[in-house]
Amino acid sequence: MKNNITYLIVLLLLCVGQVNAQKYATKSGVIDFEASVPSFEEVKAKNSSVSAILNTATGEFASLALIQGFRFKVALMEEHFNENYMESAQYPKAIVKGSITDFDAGRLSDTTTEFNFKGTIAIHGVTQPLETKVNLTKLGDQMEMSTSFILKPGDFDIKIPSIVSNKIADEVTVTAMYTLSQK
Amino acid sequence: MKKKTVFLVVTLVLVVGAYVGYKYLYKDHRNIAEETAVFNGSAEEIQGQFASGQEELLNQTVIVTGSVSQVEGTSITLDDKVQCVFAETMEVAIGTEIKVKGRCIGYDDLFEIVKLDQSQLIN
Repeated sequence: MKNNITYLIVLLLLCVGQVNAQKYATKSGVIDFEASVPSFEEVKAKNSSVSAILNTATGEFASLALIQGFRFKVALMEEHFNENYMESAQYPKAIVKGSITDFDAGRLSDTTTEFNFKGTIAIHGVTQPLETKVNLTKLGDQMEMSTSFILKPGDFDIKIPSIVSNKIADEVTVTAMYTLSQK
Repeated sequence: MKKKTVFLVVTLVLVVGAYVGYKYLYKDHRNIAEETAVFNGSAEEIQGQFASGQEELLNQTVIVTGSVSQVEGTSITLDDKVQCVFAETMEVAIGTEIKVKGRCIGYDDLFEIVKLDQSQLIN
């Protein structure tokens, strides 16, 4: 009997949680990165199938990008990116987890509002802290989220051979764009 | 006469070398549409493989069959198990049974789905 009551309470709490949990998600977010050096071949790639989930009850956010999903203009560059630098067969994904620290659903509107994000980013088997600004715009039942930050390959134990190091910038500019739909 | 032959040979070597070098640096992207698929099965099957940690199909050309569960811009999700990304915006009715050929780019733990890119519909 007592067990049954506990079970019921747990179930009830779970239901309440479900109602309160406002989730916005996408499977087709876009991440671009660029590490070009002037007067050399552009080093730029785009992934348009990045997953992301934002919980608007707590401001928690998670995003996952598959390394193989980054497409380059030059096929050989894409091959080197996967095989030599990112070792995507061994480390197939990049993950961002954390929360929008000053999140307040009341501040969301159809004009862009800036928030602060604090969390971690895991690439190539290395997890580093990540702090950045994010822009949120609420458009009906969709939410647009965008951000941009700089990463250094060295921080993620990604070695770039000296022969090409002058053709690849030390600082990689990453831009992310998500159109999140209410779940 | 001999000088001329040497000159010709050197020129030929240089031209061929430059051509081979260029072809290597600027080789074409893989043509997924023309590759033979190493896997041909249901969305559930391929998702099951990745969910249990088997990742042999990573970066391989696959053919996946399933019923459309979501359409989001250029992507179609099959049975909530496989997301296929196409080059153009897709318009397919939810519930349609389709067959897709694409390149498997990996497993997404957030949604528990397998992702394909460079997809195309096949009949």
